[in-house]
This record gives sequence, structure tokens and C-alpha cells, in this order.
Amino acid sequence: MERLHSRVLVQWSAGALVTAAVVAVVAGAITFVDPLSLSLPPIAVAGAVFGVVFVLGVAYAWLRYRSWRYEVRTNTLYIERGVLTRVETIVPYVRVQHVDSQRGPLDRLLGLGTVVVYTAGSRGADVSIPGLAAERATTLQERLRDLAIESEPTDAV
Amino acid sequence: MKLHPLTVVYRVGRRAVSLGWGVVVGFAGASSIPFVDRRLVVAALALAVLALVGYEVARYQRFTYALAGTTLELRSGVLSRREREIPIERVQNVDVSRTVGQRVIGLATVRVETAGGGNTEAVLECVSAAAADDLQTELRRLKRAAADAGDIESGDDVRAGGKASATTDATGETSEVVFGLGRRRLLLASALSFDVRLLSVVFVAQPVVQPLLAPLVGDLAGVTTVVALLVAVLTAVGLWLASAARTFARYYGFRLVRAGDDLRYERGLGRRYTGTIPLEKLQTLAVEETALERAFGYASLSVVTAGSVGSDTTGGSAAAVPLATRADVLALARDLEPFADATMERPPTRARTRYAIRYALGVAVLLALTMAVDALLTPVPYAWAPAVLLVLAPIAAHLQWRNVGVALTNDYAVVRRGFWTRRTRVLPHDRVQTTAVSATFFQRRRGLASVAIDTAGGDAVAPDYDAARAREIRDRVVERACAAVGARRGADDSH
Repeated sequence: MERLHSRVLVQWSAGALVTAAVVAVVAGAITFVDPLSLSLPPIAVAGAVFGVVFVLGVAYAWLRYRSWRYEVRTNTLYIERGVLTRVETIVPYVRVQHVDSQRGPLDRLLGLGTVVVYTAGSRGADVSIPGLAAERATTLQERLRDLAIESEPTDAV
Repeated sequence: MKLHPLTVVYRVGRRAVSLGWGVVVGFAGASSIPFVDRRLVVAALALAVLALVGYEVARYQRFTYALAGTTLELRSGVLSRREREIPIERVQNVDVSRTVGQRVIGLATVRVETAGGGNTEAVLECVSAAAADDLQTELRRLKRAAADAGDIESGDDVRAGGKASATTDATGETSEVVFGLGRRRLLLASALSFDVRLLSVVFVAQPVVQPLLAPLVGDLAGVTTVVALLVAVLTAVGLWLASAARTFARYYGFRLVRAGDDLRYERGLGRRYTGTIPLEKLQTLAVEETALERAFGYASLSVVTAGSVGSDTTGGSAAAVPLATRADVLALARDLEPFADATMERPPTRARTRYAIRYALGVAVLLALTMAVDALLTPVPYAWAPAVLLVLAPIAAHLQWRNVGVALTNDYAVVRRGFWTRRTRVLPHDRVQTTAVSATFFQRRRGLASVAIDTAGGDAVAPDYDAARAREIRDRVVERACAAVGARRGADDSH
């Protein structure tokens, strides 16, 4: 079983930072308009909301990071993840249609990458593994591609 | 080939009808504003109609399609042009639909589905009815030719037993009527199609309707209640009739024909549908029984291909049999996919406890809401009434639990669930794409987990099995799936 690269925590925490900022601005604006006439200081409320949301976000990112596992098995790709709902997915290589690797701006900055495995399924047709070290993302993509070709399905659908 | 010239008339007409209401509103609005001239509105409308006609003519001019050997080629687009080539081997369903308007002027819309994406890959709107039929036949013939050319498949397609008189159609295949829906059966199907859950609307509406009625019928004790009851009964009957009418129009003149490796269906009262379902592309079978149907021993069958997922053009999944006795449905299902009869395994009883608690919590939330409204906003008569529903929680939990089941045979996974509409899905192992075990926080507390089996034609979820058993089911399905599609059988990698 492999884990994600720990730098993904930075990435997810950055996401939490953005969410916290947005929520804080909204909370501040509501306090400023003061529809319930509570006359609270908007800046302090915004700050407190930001702090709470950010801490929760980082905690969630940490739990999420801890829950992630994946394994390249002989015939299948095994993925395990989820904080509140734990999901263990198995993708047989025979069913893989194509494999993507994606690197967003933040990914590139942190030297991370995401591998996405596509199947012809209906729900959860694409399975992605985020937060891989850049070179690991490349090797994983190539390995999965080779395994998919090697296992030769008669008909992908 | 081009579309039928009348397409322009049909499409402009359809657009005009939907714009008609806008025109009425526009006029009414304009007359209420004093300084807007009526003539200006008329001029704007005329311009809009001209633009619409111009666009439709250009669309007609640009749209060409051709069946060239192994591909279906489409060229279309007025502003942004598009050329599309669809390999005929990849075609899943070909559906022809004819609205009332189209039937009047002899047109039809052809939809060609492949497994890719959610949208219909090729929509030919409109061609003449004859051209639509020709196209459907020709696509089937070419597909067969393509399959025969590179045929390496075993001849397992001869598993149909001749039931009705076999005839030979244009493509040289024998075709037999597998199922026809007579007038009486159709009426029965319409009557039974009702989802009993809709009746809850009546109960929800009741507390709102009753106070509204009070001033109308006077304050005589009893009268209000009687009238309210009458309204409730009439609403229920109205809902039932509406649902029946919908099913009636949908399945009027239903016929299912098997031609070689394809199923062909025809249905519809106003809007007429015909379509082909290629059996080699069959992904899952679903036997559905509403609570009403189950009580009378009836069921319906749908055949799902990869093309029909996410497209509502064929009504979600392409229904194969709208209503037949359970035995007939199972016989037809076994004819298509010979799955063995296996006993259904139910989830452990602690799943039932979980459902009961969940329902009880739902009732508690409802109770808290009515109590809160009663205390804070406005007095609610019988605010404690939802508490009575608590009695139903264990019953509902038991019914839900009783209808869940899973069975694994050598070639199929059979998953069943649902009380109001019980769906039994038959998933051939060689169609399985991915499988997953998932457990929510609450499921984990009771050591339960759900198994989801995904195919290109929709997924099936077996809920609330023992966590270890759920993993066992998943691993077995994966193992069978890999074996079925002829994967290398390496070391056993399940844990």
C-alpha cells in the first residue's frame, strides 16, 4: 500500500485557506449589515470565523491525507479513501480506457501531480489519485497504461 | 444525404409554439407601458421570426449525413461547424421518435447512441419516416457486416428459443415478436404504474388545505372535515389518473421484436418511438416491481445498454417489457441473460435496527419542527401528531430490510433493493467496470458496509452488509470479472 506525498497537505490546506477566506468575508459582511441587530464587531467576527473554518479545513485535510491508500496489484488497481464515508474501489486493468496525468498551477509549484484512470462505467467512471510526487505520477501513469494494454480486453464496454 | 426539407417548417413551428406565450406576455407588457409603440413590438417580432427562419434554413443547408462503409459521417453547424465520424461497430442504440407534429407531416427524429459521453452522439432532426426506417435497417446491416468481417466471437448468440412465428426481415435475419402489449394489459399496466408514495402529497397538503377551506364552507363542525376528506380523495384519484394516463400514452401499441442479435421496440400514443437495442451491448437487466404491481404478481423489465445511460430520449433505460406477470418477465430476462436462480442473501438484522433508528430520527426531526413552529410562530393543531409515525418506523425498517438482497452466481451478480419500487438488477460479471465498498460513519459504527458494482449501463448498490462480507462480495465479483473478460490470471491478489 502506498500513501500520498505529504506535500499534498500543503495543497489541501491552501484550499481550506481560500474557503475560510470566502466564508469569513461573507460572515463579516453579514455582521456589518447586522440584520438581527446584534451589533457585533465585523472584523473580529470575520477573524474568528476565518480561524475556525481554517483549522477545521486543515484538520479535515490531515484526516483525508491519512485515509488515502492505493496499491497497484497484479490485475487491479486498489484505492482506499474517505474521512466520513470510507470508500475502497477496485479497478480491473482490463476495464481501463485511458489514463491521464494532470498538473495544475499549484501542483506544479509543489511538484505534485494527479493521475486519473478512466473506465467506461457510469458512476465513478473516473478514479483519480491526487497528491502524487511529480515523478511518481509519471511512472504510475506509464505503469497503469502498460498494465491496461497488457491485459487486453476483448471489448472495453 | 440531407435532412427532409420540411424540417425547417417543423422546427420553426415548434419554436414558434414555445415562443407564442412569450409573444402574448410581450404584448400585454407593452400595452401597459404607455410610450412603447405597438408597431415597434410587431417589427421586433417579425425580425425575430425572420432570424429564426434564416437560422433554420442555414442549419438545413449545412446539415448532411452519410453512411460511408464503416462510419456514419455527420457535418453540421451554422456558426461553428462540426464534422463527426461514428464507427458503426461502436453504435449502441438507434432510436426513432415521432412527435404528433412530425407524424402529421411525415417526419421522424433519429438518435444514434454510442457508449461515449452522456449526450446522444448523433441526432438527425428530421428525416422522412421512410428514411428513418431505412437508416435503422441499414445501420443494423452494416453493423452485422462489420461484425461478420472480423468475426472471432463464439456462436453463443443462438440462445433464443423460438416462441412466436419467425419471419424474415429485410436484413435476412429472422425476427420474432417476443412481447406485445394488448389493450387490456396496457390498461392494467397503466392502473398499476402508480407510485403509492405520491399519495403522501395528499397528507402533506391536508393541513394547508383544511384551514383554507374553513371560511369557504362555513364553520359547521364536521362539514369542513368531510369536504377536506373529499378533496383529499379527489386529489388521490386525480394523481392516480394522471400517472395512469402517462403510462398509457407512453406504452400504447407496445411491441418487442427480436431480430437476430437486436431487440426492436415500438411504443407511444402521441409521440411514437421505435428503437433497436443491440443485445451484444447489453450491460444490465433490471426487473422492477412497484408495491402495487408486486401485490398483483406483475413486474416490468428494462434492458440497459451503455448508450442509454444518462440519455432521457428513450426514457432513461430502454424499457423492454412495461408489464407482464413476474414469471413471464423472469422467463424473458433469462432468455436474454441466462442467470441461474439463486437464493438472495439478506443483510444482517443490525441493518434493520439501523433503518429503524434512521426512520425514528426522521420522525423526531419532523416532530421537533412542528413543535417549534407551534411554539414560536403559529399554533399548529395536533402538533404532536407526527409522534404517531414512530409506530411506523420499525415496520418501514423491516420492509426496507426485507427487500434488500444480493446473490452471486458463476456468471452474474444479482442485486435487489427497494420497497416502493423493488429493483432487481442482473449484472453479468463480464460487464463489471469497477467495484467499491463504502461505509459511512454510521455504517462503520455497526460494522456495516455497502458494495457498489458499476457497469457501463448503470450501477447497483447492495447496502448494509457485514463489512467483511461486503469485501468478500466485492473481491469475488472482481475475481469473476477478471476471469470473465479473459484477463491474465496471475497470483491471487485479493487480500
